[in-house]
Amino acid sequence: MKRRDLIASVAAAGAAVAAGLYRFTDLIVKHYAPTPYDDVLAALADREQAERFGASVPGTLDAKALAAKLRTVLKPGGLGAAAKADAIAGRLIEVDGWVVPQSVALLSALAAKA
Amino acid sequence: MTGFIDARTLDAATVLEPDLAIIGGGPAGISLALALADTKLNILLLESGGMNFDPQNQKLYAGAQTGKRYIALDAGRLRLLGGSTNHWGGWCRPLDAIDFERRDWMPHSGWPFPRTALDAYYPRAQKLVEAGPWLYDKAGASIASLGAPLQLGEGGVYTSWFQFSKTRDSNLPTYFGHRYENDLKRAAHVKVMLHANVTGIRLTRDAQRVDRLDVATLNAHGGKHFTVKPRITVLACGGMENVRLLLASNDVMASGIGNQNDLVGRFFADNPTPRDVATLVSFAGAPAPYYGDNLALAKGPILRATFAPSDKFRRARQTTASLTTLEQPVDLDDTGKAAVITTAIALGVDASNAKAYSLGCGMELLPDPERRLTLTGEKDALGLPRLKLNMRMAEADFSLYRHTLKELGRQLLASGTGMLKIISQESWAQNMDWGNHHLGTTRMHDDPKQGVVNADARVHGVGNLYIAGSSVFPTYGASNPTLNLIALTLRLADYLKKVMS
Repeated sequence: MKRRDLIASVAAAGAAVAAGLYRFTDLIVKHYAPTPYDDVLAALADREQAERFGASVPGTLDAKALAAKLRTVLKPGGLGAAAKADAIAGRLIEVDGWVVPQSVALLSALAAKA
Repeated sequence: MTGFIDARTLDAATVLEPDLAIIGGGPAGISLALALADTKLNILLLESGGMNFDPQNQKLYAGAQTGKRYIALDAGRLRLLGGSTNHWGGWCRPLDAIDFERRDWMPHSGWPFPRTALDAYYPRAQKLVEAGPWLYDKAGASIASLGAPLQLGEGGVYTSWFQFSKTRDSNLPTYFGHRYENDLKRAAHVKVMLHANVTGIRLTRDAQRVDRLDVATLNAHGGKHFTVKPRITVLACGGMENVRLLLASNDVMASGIGNQNDLVGRFFADNPTPRDVATLVSFAGAPAPYYGDNLALAKGPILRATFAPSDKFRRARQTTASLTTLEQPVDLDDTGKAAVITTAIALGVDASNAKAYSLGCGMELLPDPERRLTLTGEKDALGLPRLKLNMRMAEADFSLYRHTLKELGRQLLASGTGMLKIISQESWAQNMDWGNHHLGTTRMHDDPKQGVVNADARVHGVGNLYIAGSSVFPTYGASNPTLNLIALTLRLADYLKKVMS
């Protein structure tokens, strides 16, 4: 085998292993295809849990509208500040009975719809 | 010390003439007799039962029901000396100041006096129920060594406290009949007559005064009939039996005594106690043990924490009283776990040790004139008509309490302490229990068109007939009534001392 072919084979094998590892880590951290809302979804530290919770969020807004609303809400200080401000101000939504800050509910809903 | 009188041993046609006759030997009747024991008034306490449970006597309580499912009328109360304290749980808490206020948004609400009118009587009532030193909303400092209370932050719900009648170790709560048996026997001017059933309150022809009481023993007990002619009578048979006696005593007033405005028996209330109204998640793990259990302080009172809406919140949000308690640990489903993880991360809180608990509640019902007791054509063994209860709950009874739960949820989030899931109303209804607190059926109001008794607990229009007990509560609150009805009875005792001296 020529040296060039060997390098190409090792590179191909490495790529295959990397792809496999990537898929394997999907079991631990789910990987998502890019969306137009990734700038908003980046606020979620655990998107998978948010997606699961968000499936129960009531409301008719589509992902685009949710993202637009969230960009306004999250802009000043991120999700933490928005969630606390919502709780203090009583901006709450009930999701399957759970009383949660509006920003958390909307972001979870976006995670489910994105 | 003299023994109790057994009515079954009296000669028929006996006529007794005490200064004061108390009908009913429950916590109100016994407290009243003891409070007046140091006067020279000759007091006769007439108790239908004996010292122990008697199924035949208990059957006198049986009645019919319509409307919402409720506890059988002969199951939620006891007909023997000590009354329903023979099966009470010992839960004590004073009513809140707002419970006495007239609120425009709550039709028929308000007492004819503020809570301060009872302040002087609560310490004595507390002593009678043997619930230890008066701590209640100051209990937090005494119990701090067992753990900090949940931080709820600013808002309308706060950690309040129950105290318990001496439920320590194997001791049961104070059963008034047995606990105060010797005190009653020692009282020189108090005579307690057992197995003595009042079957009629007979008015003078002008209906202005009580002339006499018809008293009988059960046929199985000899079927004796005799008469009591007191100067003053106090009816203290509880929120159901007071109604039955007043309505059945209709020989002079055709609609029944005190019922000239069709109020006797209306506004019946109890405290619904649904068992699983919400799930509370504490992010930091198990809260202090006094939230979920009754905890005894060393040589001190027994306490349990409860979530209560503040008076300010109730006024602002126009909501009812409620006392929400932590019950059992529960497991969360996948959506619940996702809710907790997502919310805790968003708030920047570590929820890796989070624990979830079900919440139970004692709720207040809105006053409802159609929730009422009436007489039926069926008679009991003494010939008295039996009762029928029309039980109702309004949508607002649930929805107003929901405001408080949501506020608790808001505060938990705002303080980063935890979060709340509100269970569906349909589920509450399926898990509905009741406090067996019979309230409101002879309500107190200065206006005879709005109440059966006046602020002194005297039946409107009848000069010498008074009512003691929770049947006079015009608005109910969520606190268990025993402590409160005793305080109210002690106030009546002071009044009677003045008018009878």
